[in-house]
Amino acid sequence: MSNLAVLPIIIPMLAGVLAIFFHKKIKAVRIYAQIMMLLNVAVVSWIGWYVLKNGTIVLETGDWQAPFGIVLVADPLAMILVITTNLIALACVFYAPSSLSAKQEEYYFYTLFFLLITGVSGAFLTGDLFNLFVFYEVLLMASYGLIVLGGEKVQLRESVKYVLLNLFSSMLFVTAVAFLYSVVGTVNMAQIAERIQEVPAEDQGIITTIAILLFFVFATKGAIFPLYYWMPKSYIVPNVVVSALFSALLTKVGIYSILRTFSIMFVQDTELTHQIFLWLAALTMIFGVIGALSTNNVKLIIVYNIIPAVGYMLLGIGLLSPSGLSGSVYYLVHDMIIKTALFLLIGALVYVTGTSDLKKMRGVIHQYPVLAWLFLLGTFVLAGIPPFSGFIGKLLILKGAAEEGEYVLVVIGLLVSLLILLSMVRIFVVGMWGEKQEIQQKRKIGKFLIPSAFLLFFSVFLGVGAEWIYPHIETIANSLLDPSIYIDSVLKE
Amino acid sequence: MEIITSVLGGILFATGIYNLLQKQLLRIIIGTALISHGAHLLILTMGRLKTGKPPILVDGVTQYTDPLPQALILTSIVISFGVTSLLLVLAYRASKLNNSDNMDELRGTENE
Amino acid sequence: MIYAVFAPLIILLLIPIFNKWKDKIHTGWFVLPVPLLVFLYFIPFVGSDFTTKTESYSWIPSLGISLDFYLDGLSLLFVLLISGIGTLVVLYSIFYLHKSEQIGHFYIYLMMFMVSMLGVVLSDNVFVLYTFWEFTSISSFLLIGFWNHRERSRYGALKSMMITVFGGLSLLGGFILLSIITNTTSIRGMIENSHLIIESPLLPLVLVFLALGAFTKSAQFPFHIWLPDAMEAPTPVSAYLHSATMVKAGIYLIARFSPILAGEPSFFVLVSIVGIITLCWGSYMAVRQTDLKGILAFSTISQLGMIMAMLGFGTQAAIFAAVFHILNHATFKGSLFMIAGIIDHETGTRDIRKLGGLMTFMPMSATLALFGILSMSGFPLPFLNGFYSKELFFDSANALNAYTGGFLGFLQEALPYLAVFGSIFTFVYSMYFFFGTFRGQAKLEELPKKPHEAPIGMLISPIILVLGVLVIGLFPNVFVNGLLGHTATAVSGEFYEPHEIYFWHGWDYKPFLMTLVVIALGVLLTVTRKKWSSIYNVFPRHLSFNTVYDFIMDKTETVSSRITKTYMTGSLRHYMSYILVAIIAITSIVLVVTNGFDINTSYLATITIPEVLVAIMMAVAAIATIFTNSRLAAIIILGVVGYGLSILFVIYQAPDLALTQLIIETVTVALFLLCFYHLPELRKRDDTLAVKSSNTIISVGFGVLITLIAISSHSNKLFEPISSYFVETSKSLGGGANIVNVILVDMRGLDTLFEITVLGIAALAIYGMLKIRRDKEAK
Repeated sequence: MSNLAVLPIIIPMLAGVLAIFFHKKIKAVRIYAQIMMLLNVAVVSWIGWYVLKNGTIVLETGDWQAPFGIVLVADPLAMILVITTNLIALACVFYAPSSLSAKQEEYYFYTLFFLLITGVSGAFLTGDLFNLFVFYEVLLMASYGLIVLGGEKVQLRESVKYVLLNLFSSMLFVTAVAFLYSVVGTVNMAQIAERIQEVPAEDQGIITTIAILLFFVFATKGAIFPLYYWMPKSYIVPNVVVSALFSALLTKVGIYSILRTFSIMFVQDTELTHQIFLWLAALTMIFGVIGALSTNNVKLIIVYNIIPAVGYMLLGIGLLSPSGLSGSVYYLVHDMIIKTALFLLIGALVYVTGTSDLKKMRGVIHQYPVLAWLFLLGTFVLAGIPPFSGFIGKLLILKGAAEEGEYVLVVIGLLVSLLILLSMVRIFVVGMWGEKQEIQQKRKIGKFLIPSAFLLFFSVFLGVGAEWIYPHIETIANSLLDPSIYIDSVLKE
Repeated sequence: MEIITSVLGGILFATGIYNLLQKQLLRIIIGTALISHGAHLLILTMGRLKTGKPPILVDGVTQYTDPLPQALILTSIVISFGVTSLLLVLAYRASKLNNSDNMDELRGTENE
Repeated sequence: MIYAVFAPLIILLLIPIFNKWKDKIHTGWFVLPVPLLVFLYFIPFVGSDFTTKTESYSWIPSLGISLDFYLDGLSLLFVLLISGIGTLVVLYSIFYLHKSEQIGHFYIYLMMFMVSMLGVVLSDNVFVLYTFWEFTSISSFLLIGFWNHRERSRYGALKSMMITVFGGLSLLGGFILLSIITNTTSIRGMIENSHLIIESPLLPLVLVFLALGAFTKSAQFPFHIWLPDAMEAPTPVSAYLHSATMVKAGIYLIARFSPILAGEPSFFVLVSIVGIITLCWGSYMAVRQTDLKGILAFSTISQLGMIMAMLGFGTQAAIFAAVFHILNHATFKGSLFMIAGIIDHETGTRDIRKLGGLMTFMPMSATLALFGILSMSGFPLPFLNGFYSKELFFDSANALNAYTGGFLGFLQEALPYLAVFGSIFTFVYSMYFFFGTFRGQAKLEELPKKPHEAPIGMLISPIILVLGVLVIGLFPNVFVNGLLGHTATAVSGEFYEPHEIYFWHGWDYKPFLMTLVVIALGVLLTVTRKKWSSIYNVFPRHLSFNTVYDFIMDKTETVSSRITKTYMTGSLRHYMSYILVAIIAITSIVLVVTNGFDINTSYLATITIPEVLVAIMMAVAAIATIFTNSRLAAIIILGVVGYGLSILFVIYQAPDLALTQLIIETVTVALFLLCFYHLPELRKRDDTLAVKSSNTIISVGFGVLITLIAISSHSNKLFEPISSYFVETSKSLGGGANIVNVILVDMRGLDTLFEITVLGIAALAIYGMLKIRRDKEAK
């Protein structure tokens, strides 16, 4: 059964490659992509169910025994994120035809899309640090392709910055992996974790230093203060469906990497590293939400709101406690879903109003009530109003912070969620409410709304039905706190 | 010798970054190339230098240099080649469309 | 009980269907039975033999969140208010809101509110309570924004939401701390473990968190500012949410936690001071309002302050007075709001300066209003419920004697005077409301509509409420025995032995004398109100707390915009610099703090001349790239570095690498040449000295840091590398002599597969980029 672990990577990869061969037949490629996505969702859900029931699947690729070959580790954490990724992708693939131009669809949107999924799933599943770098490159390269899709002036301009910054951090990534290899003599994550545990305290300094270097690599992708500058503009220039995928997946891979490495591997000096995380988390939340309040561009508001969410997750990681970690994982899943949903809704909003400037919108609710109400629901989910998904994650993280005596962070966290609400509800009050605008012709937006509603359903479910999800998340958090679970499952004799 | 190569790696990083901080796209791209060279050199150094023969099995030889960093570098070289090519085309297109290769002029505004 | 709580939810889902027939039957008629049924469900609990009731449903047990409903005297009082006033308000709204309005939305919001409010007062689980609490804020937001085409409505809605959600989040913080301290999420559990809370060092923080939640919701000074703006909502909403129920949620909260906190000096100071200030400020500000609903809004603020102050006193007498006044306030204020709505409806304005002399046109409304204001002002008549609770308020303020000396003692002495002071203005605005509207000269020409008495349907609800005022006034002891005694028991945490309430205590009864003082001074101030108008405007309008709110809201936008613009410049150089400075600074600190730097020369390779020469050549070339101003030279110099690297690879026994590097370098140079041909010639670097030096510092700093970490990593080889395994098994398992190749295609074949994928995507992206351009140019 261990071969199952490779399916979430191989299916989208093959799907993407095959799509090249008939990329000009738009209708065919659309239906093909939708079918492949449905298939993939079915497969990963089944694998996820299998993993939750029977335990972690470890695949030693090429039959090379761990730690020597590359291992793929389908543990509950990886599978929950892979499933979430695929649900998002499913919504996006059905949304794409209404949002993309024919040219964009023709020029390999679907191929790049599938390869992005490949890279993201691979990053979640791999148990090898260098292989993680390779999957990062896959997803980044796919994202480079997606961000320039369409070739508009602004797109090219922002993508240059995006590519350059990511190129730099990739190079830093391989360098740091090499440093770590020099010290611990391996690139297998489980073995690194095992070996670091054996290092006597006086020799740990260099490991902590390399760990921080790696943290910065992940933090650049994860949009953590003070490394997120590249993100806001580059996320709003591509087509909205691409923005949605980016905001759901790319930063989250960075956060996932921090979560994974700084719970099972680099826990030798948490007094230092995780304390740094706590303060960076606070600053990330504050500056992120300030960014969200600073603009009238509705797309930018959503993009900036990625940052405080990242701050919340980093806060949970920094606490390194059961509540904190399960909060972070919960928030991670929640945030992936809600960011996509909101971006898809914003896409519809921009489509019907013809602008992304909030000051030029008014009274949308009168012509498009469903859009407005879904958006308000999304706002509440994002702001962590109970009983929706955002609340569970927020509650756990804040509870974790309070348990550790970090009361200042609790207060910051609470205030930030108020400001998140303000930044979002402004769009509703200014843009959706107000006098009815009669001039514009009513457009059909059902195809925009169904995928968003599909995702919002999961947001509500993750909150109201938390009892079905939370116990698994708790198990995940406990396995992150006890590295030996991961180590044993990979390095079993 | 490892110290010398480490320093050289540092110099490549430093000059690369200096170029990266320039305005002109060309210089910036040169910077990225230097940084990847620096990274690859450092990876090789981390596997220890001159500890044995090239990692090609020959009867009678027992000491080989560490093959793993070499494999990693190979992967990395190919990947950075891919990114660099993309970057070059992107830079060319971006400067053509925006009529400027000066990153200071390619800042953008809030609403567009 | 759960059905009673969620009954409005069921009808809420059906409203869209009923709304289809709204032209024939007003949707309100379908909604009306729901609050009535809820009321009828809870009424049988009233009685002297009342016992508490609990119901539990599992929801998210692993997080300690479950639907535990708990009905005690306090929640019973509130559910009866919520459902009773709710019924009257729905009835009233049927006549108030015309069918052409979006009444479907109105009733959906109203039912949503009712569910949440019932949930707030019945939940025993703090997180469930918080959930419902936030939903009361949300439904209030939607109801205030009901007429969202009006700017003031949108402003008021956002304001109320921001302030109450702020409080809600603070409440959440308080609940989180409480659940950690007591290790339970049940309020009853917390009360049982109250010693843990009282002894906890976190008590002040808990108190502040809870108080902020309660004060914002109950419009206590200085958070009261949202309530006047909430009057933009349709009047039934003002009568219901913003007077009788939702604003009392804060009161409920303080009452709910009274068994734990009452008696704590900090609780006494905080709650009674804020309450009494709110009482005085609200009544004082009410006198200068010109909008009828504005007067009532400030009046509500003031009355809520009074209840809050009594809860702050914490004595059993004060608690009883507080719960009594909760009931009384709901009756008289509810009716007054409905009258204000009637006046607005029938004359077209609520501006008291245009009104006057309506007594002749609207005798029924005037009579109802008269009872309402007399009860509100605490006028000593035996059939007015307001008088009784006001007198009990004075009595409890006088009876405070827990503290001697110090600030607490002083506060205790001052409270009765402040109570009288605030009540004087209560009297003044009550009279102002009545006389300004119903007496004096009618100014018909200023009214948008010709005034006439309201339809009977609209009058039913205020009539019932005024009857409530009178019945409670005539038979207070019935209510005490059946309901309020149980409420007082629940709030004070110990059994409340009902004392008989009666009208006449004798001339020397101090609270009565205080009432007389209030009336005497009140009459004086009312008669001479015009002369005193300057007093009411001592505080300039632009210096109110609204200004603070507007300032904060304005500044959040402008300041955040300024902060963000200072660093989000769009300049790659800035971004790179910030990122690098952060990496350099924090990593260096970690390197130093952890003592991570270490140099070990024991297993360094020998140094030979050729490699040093190559290294020097590469270093010189790398530095030269900075200084060259020619494209061609730059490419050649870059090539030198690349080929130099291949030579190093050869020297360091990496033949495959050398070969690959050679090929890639050649292709790259070719690509560079191709692209450079299209890009402009290198310009001289024209940076300022500051820019140049900052660039230098950053790049040198990073180079040094990387070098140090590299040396240190190399010096700390703590484990045997795994690669010896590759050497051993390359031939036997991998079937190849070239170990690097075996690693690439076999052991780490996955890397290679995806490395090729990366190249493929790059090719595709480049092709797409160029192709789309061609297609565009072709057009």
